[in-house]
Amino acid sequence: MKTEQAQPQAAENSLAAMNNRIGRVVTEAVGRTLRDRGVSRMLIALVVAFGFFAIMRPRIFLGPINLQNIMVAAPEVGVIAIAMMLAMLTGGIDLSLVSIANLSAVTMSTLFTAMAASNPAFGESMTVPIILIGLVVGAACGLLNGLLISLVGITPILATLATMQILNGLAVVWTGGKTLYGAPAALTTFGKTAIGPVPMLFIVFVLVAIVIATVVRSTALGRKLELQGANPVAARFSGIPSRSVLISSYTIGGLLAGLAGVLFLCRNPTASADYGASYVLLVIVIAVLGGTNPNGGFATVAGVVLATLTLQVVASGFTALRLSPYQYSIAQGVILVVVMILDTIQWSRPKWRKRGVTTDSASLQTTQVGTIKKDKEQE
Amino acid sequence: MQLLRKFRGANNEGSLALILLVVVLGMSLLNPVFFSVNTAFSILRAATVPMILALAVLLVIISGGIDVSFPVVAIGSAYTAVTICLKTGFDPGLPAIFGMAIVIGGLLGLVNGFVIAKFRLPTLIVTLGTQGIFFGAMLVYVGTRYYPTLPDSMAALSAVNVVELTTSAGRAYLHVLVLLSIAIALIIWAVLKYTMFGRSLYAIGGDAEGARRAGIRVVRTQLWIYVLVGMVAAIGGVAYVVMSRSANPQDLVGGELDIIAAVVLGGASIFGGRGSVLGTVLGVLLIQVINNSLLLVGVPSAWLRAAVGLLLILGVGAQAVSARRSAQRIHTVDTGEAVRLELEKVS
Repeated sequence: MKTEQAQPQAAENSLAAMNNRIGRVVTEAVGRTLRDRGVSRMLIALVVAFGFFAIMRPRIFLGPINLQNIMVAAPEVGVIAIAMMLAMLTGGIDLSLVSIANLSAVTMSTLFTAMAASNPAFGESMTVPIILIGLVVGAACGLLNGLLISLVGITPILATLATMQILNGLAVVWTGGKTLYGAPAALTTFGKTAIGPVPMLFIVFVLVAIVIATVVRSTALGRKLELQGANPVAARFSGIPSRSVLISSYTIGGLLAGLAGVLFLCRNPTASADYGASYVLLVIVIAVLGGTNPNGGFATVAGVVLATLTLQVVASGFTALRLSPYQYSIAQGVILVVVMILDTIQWSRPKWRKRGVTTDSASLQTTQVGTIKKDKEQE
Repeated sequence: MQLLRKFRGANNEGSLALILLVVVLGMSLLNPVFFSVNTAFSILRAATVPMILALAVLLVIISGGIDVSFPVVAIGSAYTAVTICLKTGFDPGLPAIFGMAIVIGGLLGLVNGFVIAKFRLPTLIVTLGTQGIFFGAMLVYVGTRYYPTLPDSMAALSAVNVVELTTSAGRAYLHVLVLLSIAIALIIWAVLKYTMFGRSLYAIGGDAEGARRAGIRVVRTQLWIYVLVGMVAAIGGVAYVVMSRSANPQDLVGGELDIIAAVVLGGASIFGGRGSVLGTVLGVLLIQVINNSLLLVGVPSAWLRAAVGLLLILGVGAQAVSARRSAQRIHTVDTGEAVRLELEKVS
């Protein structure tokens, strides 16, 4: 590598070296990505699903409207799934994400309606501050989760179950259970614009994915998140500040949920407390399909993005085949269970006997360590 | 101190009972209408189905798992049984309908248990998947129709009351299915306390590897847990259908987290190994009482979810803080215990 970086003698030479280098970087990146189980298997699943529906119903499925619909529908679920992946990376889970997204959407819609009531132009001009407030609401809710989990010490699944109920309750009370209408026109137009065939919403999704992927892969915070999830005790003894790591993980998750709220308003200028109730569990499915270890320590953003797209492709493919959403529900469940089963068979057959049955990897690890110790003592 | 500790109970049942008492007393002082047989009966009626479902979830949670497919199992098995009766036009009578639903629920539970026990997958993920499969299968293969009328035997049960009283506030009815939920609570209490199966649930929830070494057949027990949960959920489903006097396949679904919240509020540990029938009963009752009293005070019922969430945070938060305190007080070098507490704190 160094020789290639050194001053090239001839222009032709440097071009070849450059080519060579780019080629190597690309193969390395592709190779590394494919080694991640979530990415490779979701890539295969995406291609298979896409190919299947493209062959079965080429006219409907490959039509520009359908492809655009996939790209417009995927971002909001995908962004929440990435937030879920962050929580799972630290070994937790965040059930409150959809409630946060709805609360942020409701806040923005209410603010806009209040501002536009007296002067519509003023409401429009405040679009950016309104979006910022929506994001802040999301981040604040995430911060609340983080504080409950790290400072008070409540288990993530319970803390976020509680905040889910609280935030959703607040949104229900606020809206009176009705759907609010009204959002800055700029947001709605943004939701409808596209660069070439790619909708802006999808570009936002990809940008978010790239940012989070960079954070997870190449920053100190990302490493700390991984270590925290892989082994909390070891992380603690390695001097990783568990509290601030957890707080930042859930705050970023909340921020992303707030962003999902903005995306809700981009697609539809309406906000309600009950929007996307099925997303709560769907995003867990997506995160796990994308190769996220539900016990923490391992996750890839690329896998989550691919899983989001795969499920969206299957959903719209089922529509193209005129199958009902209920049949899609079956397919979704079957995909999840089958993928999980295939995973176990591939990965844990050698140590089949030794594995405990607990779902908690941390306790599993300690029991294993404990038993090994005892075995040695007996010897 | 000793007495106090005994009153608090192993899973904070005492504190929960105290809160329940305070809420009831406070409400009665605020609004005398609250303190009546009518209110008590209607709360019991409203608590019946959540109680049966919560008891089913309690079994899973004690064993260290979590199940989100039980509402679909409940409504799925009840709806299927009703559909079979209505389609064939043959009413086999109540016991047969209950039996049919229980068999279907047990089979669905067997699917859960098989996948979980055989492949040792995380229970949350598996039941998420099967939830989708069961829900889709019910709507695709059984039907999507809403049945406003039930088979005669079930419709007859809808109107049966055990106690009918005339009070100053009007007539008060105690529905017969309230007795069913009490019976189920007693049976599950006895199973948990006196049977080998019940004790092994706690053992597996506490430490699966330890349970295995102690000679408990972990895989087989896990399989039975989910079958049992499916069966109890199916009873809850039939009770729901009878009490709502109609069969709608989309009902109950989506309420799984509310029920789990009630069980956790009742002192069951989400890590497994801890939990009691009494706590769960109190948790479910507390939520229903709060629901009822919010209405009486004139607070919109929309606040219920927020109130439940707040209670959950207070309850679980208090436990977490006291666990941390006691961890700091004990300066032993028992690393196993320290690590466990540490894990509870960070995970």
